[in-house]
Amino acid sequence: MHETALMTNLLAIVERAARDGGGGAVRVVHARIGEFAGVNVDALRFAFEALSPGTAAAGGRLECEIVPLRLRCRSCGADGPSSEFVLACGACGSTDMEIVGGREMEVDYILTDDEPPESGAGR
Amino acid sequence: MHEIRVGEDLRDRNREIAAENREHLRAHGIVALNVMSAPGAGKTSLLVRSIPLLAARHAVGVIEGDIQTTTDAERVAALGVPVYQIQTGGVCHLDAAMVHSALHRLDLDAIDLLIVENVGNLVCPAEFDLGEDARIMLLSVSEGDDKPKKYPLMFHEAQLLVLNKIDLLPHVVFDLEKARRESREIQPALDIIELSCATGEGIDRFTDWIDRFVEKARGR
Repeated sequence: MHETALMTNLLAIVERAARDGGGGAVRVVHARIGEFAGVNVDALRFAFEALSPGTAAAGGRLECEIVPLRLRCRSCGADGPSSEFVLACGACGSTDMEIVGGREMEVDYILTDDEPPESGAGR
Repeated sequence: MHEIRVGEDLRDRNREIAAENREHLRAHGIVALNVMSAPGAGKTSLLVRSIPLLAARHAVGVIEGDIQTTTDAERVAALGVPVYQIQTGGVCHLDAAMVHSALHRLDLDAIDLLIVENVGNLVCPAEFDLGEDARIMLLSVSEGDDKPKKYPLMFHEAQLLVLNKIDLLPHVVFDLEKARRESREIQPALDIIELSCATGEGIDRFTDWIDRFVEKARGR
């Protein structure tokens, strides 16, 4: 699996967002992971524990929101969750379907302290 | 507490590099194919069988991806085509940055068809764009006909599904019709070719597909 490589990207994104957002210590990292994204959330959490010390996310908590598969029909516009990975519209039968949810691997938001830590502290 | 909206994808950096690879390949007039499958499905055997036919019409170059060893590259190099081996050192898929480095090791003016053999894996390669023009998915009949349903993204991302080892069909439980049907439920536009790298049956159908694809890609 590739969760360690993904975590390196996640931590870089968090680092940049925290800095641009005022530099307060990061308390929560909220990630959205699609159920079909090929990411193992336990491995991702483990990678966070292992790799976050020494980064802007150190001491923060990783939250993983699992995003279910959602399909949209380009023919009739039907849009909804799908329990099965079958690209056929339940409403009109068209196979011109688009995956609109379930492949996410993203940092949705982070929560930080309002103020940056005292000079020399943190980081 | 202070909420900072981010909305950034962990694959954004990979996508940027993949876009650069794609541009770089286009500039050299190269059509690139990313061949993916589980370990042992026959990716290297398919290259060894088809490259002698393809080399008559295309200037073929190969990038081999493996976690370790250079045996695949040696098998392909024996055919007399340029090949570069990436050893990922434990990483389960190729990413765009690895292919980017490999492109600098190949003489791109001497190639017009680049075949990238991904690391054998049915999960991770699906999410990593390398800058290719098409993905080819290989499934051998000995792996079972349930694989499309179990690993849908790999099949969804492919333009061509190659069902390999059809010479084994009398000896394994594999419902060809079911595999075809369920693969197309996952990717309705999928082309499907059945062949055997062991006997050579159907290899010409595979090379014909590549010829047609290359022609179409160049006409773009």
